[in-house]
Amino acid sequence: MKTILSADQIRELIPHRWPFLLLDRVVALKPGKSGVGLKNVTVSEPFFEGHFPQESIMPGVLIVEALAQLTAVVYGTGALASIEGNDEMAATTEMVTIDLDIDIASRVGYLVAIKDMKFMKPVVPGDQVRLEVHIGRKFGMLSQVKVAAYVQRACVVRGALTVSERPEAY
Amino acid sequence: MLTYEQTKEQAQKRRELTDRLKELIVERLDLDIEPELITDDQPIFGRGLGLDSIDALELFVAIEDEFNITVFDDNIEVFSSINKLADYIVENQEE
Repeated sequence: MKTILSADQIRELIPHRWPFLLLDRVVALKPGKSGVGLKNVTVSEPFFEGHFPQESIMPGVLIVEALAQLTAVVYGTGALASIEGNDEMAATTEMVTIDLDIDIASRVGYLVAIKDMKFMKPVVPGDQVRLEVHIGRKFGMLSQVKVAAYVQRACVVRGALTVSERPEAY
Repeated sequence: MLTYEQTKEQAQKRRELTDRLKELIVERLDLDIEPELITDDQPIFGRGLGLDSIDALELFVAIEDEFNITVFDDNIEVFSSINKLADYIVENQEE
């Protein structure tokens, strides 16, 4: 799988940082439309300390958070592409690094709804979670997003999010 | 002039549409009320049914799917009541 955005590039696009940056790499990206990302889960993740002391399971809500972070990347690159005036063209990695004067990370919107989320299988240390998001219909500042997460071939989380743009953004 | 039969038929069709809209709202937004309790001119959002903008997105997707029309975000007033919504659907389906 080709790396489209590295962890360092992701940090330029979204404001999340350790211990809450839950996206290691982006491997497919259609700016403003969809994306595929990876999150590698290790036993030294801070949340395993308490969730749970005798049984390490990645909290389902944090997988949802990882999906929301990937959504922010898809959104942010989409906004960048439209600022550049080439909506359909894929935002290349160069574009992301060049455009630091446009501080896209500070414009990340908010999560406003979580719908029909299913957690099919626990995610444990050693798993590589493949995150997939597809931005659906938009109405005003809100967009629906279809999300799913997989470990190997098995779907571990599936559902829908609604996200909002920042009122003053774009 | 419409005949009595035509008027009756038109009213019936309108009734079916508004009833369907009420069902759709209750169904898709998981409201805890009977669809019949929604009146045709009651505001849907804010003080009326107490729906918010998150529900608006949900409802707009449901209406687009069900009636095969497009609602743009600049005509949000379409959502102000069941009657306004029905008018909009009738107007935009005929094309």
